[in-house]
Amino acid sequence: MLKVFKYTLIDLLRNRFVLSYAVLLLAIGQGLFLLEEDPMKAILSLVQVVMALVPLIALVFTVVYIYDTQEFTQLLAVQPMTRRSILLGQLLAMCVAMLVAQAFGLGLPLLVHAPGSASLLLSLSGSALSIIFVVLGALIATRLREKARGVGMALVVWLLFVLVHDALLLALLFTLSDYPIEPWIVPLAGLNPIDLARIIVMLEIDLAAMMGYSGAVYKNFFGSNMGMLVAALIMLLWALVPGWGAMRAFQRKDL
Amino acid sequence: MTERISIKGLGKRYGRQWVLRGVDCEFSPGEVVMLIGPNASGKTTLIKCLLGLVRPAEGSIASGGTTITSGAAPDPAYRVRIGYMPQISQFPGALTIRQLLEMMADIRGIAPGELDDELIEELGLRDQLDKRLGALSGGTRQKVSAILAFRSRPEVLVMDEPTAGLDPVTASRVLARAGRLRDAGGIVLITSHLMEEVESLADRVAYLQEGHLRFLMPVREMLEITGAQRLAVALPRLLSSNERTTVAQ
Repeated sequence: MLKVFKYTLIDLLRNRFVLSYAVLLLAIGQGLFLLEEDPMKAILSLVQVVMALVPLIALVFTVVYIYDTQEFTQLLAVQPMTRRSILLGQLLAMCVAMLVAQAFGLGLPLLVHAPGSASLLLSLSGSALSIIFVVLGALIATRLREKARGVGMALVVWLLFVLVHDALLLALLFTLSDYPIEPWIVPLAGLNPIDLARIIVMLEIDLAAMMGYSGAVYKNFFGSNMGMLVAALIMLLWALVPGWGAMRAFQRKDL
Repeated sequence: MTERISIKGLGKRYGRQWVLRGVDCEFSPGEVVMLIGPNASGKTTLIKCLLGLVRPAEGSIASGGTTITSGAAPDPAYRVRIGYMPQISQFPGALTIRQLLEMMADIRGIAPGELDDELIEELGLRDQLDKRLGALSGGTRQKVSAILAFRSRPEVLVMDEPTAGLDPVTASRVLARAGRLRDAGGIVLITSHLMEEVESLADRVAYLQEGHLRFLMPVREMLEITGAQRLAVALPRLLSSNERTTVAQ
């Protein structure tokens, strides 16, 4: 596994897409901090960008990379190593490549312009989202044979998490506003890792009020250490469950 | 010592479509078998089953204590003995040839001194080892693929259209190397559309059609039966004859 990881990472760190992603994040991060006088406002804008861009790039990059290296993966699968080692090595390398690009593009401006707990939390949330969406991308690419369908599915999944889930949640809250739905708000947020990441960062910036009534519920739950632990566990599950699915699909797949 | 490969009732289907059905044959040490057949005849599927890339729907492949069935994938020990030269040579573009060779040696756990690096010289790649794989032409990538296939001294070598994209001199060197492997007691399986290129090397020919093994017979016998001098002439004559040749082992 470590051998596949090492050489895949060497390849990825020279990959133009990864380098462009790092530069794009740096341009956005640096640009926002230069445009806004208040670093907190810049961080707030950066939250919105990160929550949309990071999952999209991680998903599409993973799906495209897995399809484009299909022939090489076949060659690896003929070598004396298990398929589990191949996929784990590749996944780990893709996660590290995304995280390195993010540390350079996002971490650097945050460190220079707004060092603090909010920046740290934003970086950690972005990293968690990178890992989760790399794994989701792997799940898609190992289950669907055709690249076009894989990329299409990746975009649908991204739209579901970024737009559709929020819209449905809002509609639900609005429709059921006369009923005691507070116990459901937190579990519903857990269904979307992007929402969860956004909530955690917003609470740290102390902008829960922007989320209205549900903000109070979130603050009450995620504001505590136990709440943060639960959030971390949910994020972990978001990486482990699709990862297990991808591994299972890859081990049974005809290459 | 190379173990024979025994295939029994091998079948593979995708959905309801059988792409390989009822294939029975054996490949023995010290022979080169040429797999031929029209497009979509099941050649690649048969090769992929042998390599453990595709799991059969029925039947089995047994070799050296390993049996591949629908429920059992080959273990890594089986793959130690196998070399593979695919038809499409695609590698991570940002790695150099040297890094790729190191990666494969690392994976196989082979020390540099144990590797057969003669082919690097023969194919003229010594000066290009530090070039990135993404910058190589298709032919050079195919040379790299040949080096990877032979470098670990496999007992069984599977070559899918090995001469595609290679210049005639390189193609003949690669095929000569396959011949040396056969002479050393290995098993070489080659798929090719260019019968002239491999007929001097092949000991037996397996003809697949619509997923069925129509015949498997020695080249000499094919030529004798048809009275032809070349495989390219013998094959159509054999196919057009009404004799349904059964598997000859």
